[in-house]
Amino acid sequence: MRVSIVVFPGSNCDRDVQRAVSETLKTQVDMVWHEEREFPEKPDLVVLPGGFSYGDYLRSGAMAARSPIIDSVRAHAASGGLLLGICNGFQVLTEARLLPGALLANTSMTFLCKKCWLRVESTDNHFTSGLKKGDIVQYPIAHHEGLYFLPEKELKALEDDGRVVFRYADKDTGKAGAEYAPNGALNGIAGICNKEGNILGLMPHPERSTFGHLNGGSDGREFWLSVARDFAERGAF
Amino acid sequence: MRFLVTLMQKPMMSFYAEAIITPRAGVLDTQGKAVEKTLGRLGYENAGNVRVGRIVTMTVKANEKSEAAEYVKSMCGDLLANDLIETYTVTVREAE
Repeated sequence: MRVSIVVFPGSNCDRDVQRAVSETLKTQVDMVWHEEREFPEKPDLVVLPGGFSYGDYLRSGAMAARSPIIDSVRAHAASGGLLLGICNGFQVLTEARLLPGALLANTSMTFLCKKCWLRVESTDNHFTSGLKKGDIVQYPIAHHEGLYFLPEKELKALEDDGRVVFRYADKDTGKAGAEYAPNGALNGIAGICNKEGNILGLMPHPERSTFGHLNGGSDGREFWLSVARDFAERGAF
Repeated sequence: MRFLVTLMQKPMMSFYAEAIITPRAGVLDTQGKAVEKTLGRLGYENAGNVRVGRIVTMTVKANEKSEAAEYVKSMCGDLLANDLIETYTVTVREAE
């Protein structure tokens, strides 16, 4: 599996993802500057990493979503390629309208940086097919704008379609929902996918819970392995 | 020929434009809520529904005012506002 990570001015999790993916999957990872118009080699997975692209000017992810590379990102996803947006990358995906909704400022009015437990709500996509529905995983969060918002009608459709992939949860009871969302996210939504299941956006950082010795946990490792397994079974698209 | 066309065209005028962007009704405005709370603490208890948005100002070259307004509205749709969560109004006047 060939992986490309798009680097925007202000990205700061790009190398974390590079390390997590290359060491877990032993695969080629290309770093691609946002001003490029095309990927150097056809990727199987494109990752939009976390950080503060363009200093979060205007709206988080707004400017990055209009970068020169985005046309190629769209074409990649339209042809069935895997597209993953983590944190700021999720914000970029919503701003590019590749995923529905918007990420608003946390109700806490603070930047939240901590461990965070999530319930796997759906495995019917190309990212979490190797995880178990109902599993509780820990991926840390680090954001100021993580309140997932979508108007009521569309939100219901998203839920009915089973496109909510991760929901904030209580690690002890396994219950998930809005009351467990540290940021006020509607329905406690932490991550969603598109209808085809090849685009995933999530606020928590699986790459920060890939190497246990870094103290962020190691649940993220299974996430990367799940993506690779799904890809291996499906073959190239 | 090209020179003649250029001669016949009126020179474009310069306009001053403002795009005022605010959170949509019903969309949680955490910043507005925080400001309202602080205003209340300062004794401004009669203030309600405080919403915080932003103003983008610019100069625009156009043949007429309505054209300048349409130009800025187009920018709002393409970048300046996110119509899922924000609304905008555009005002234009001739630049001095």
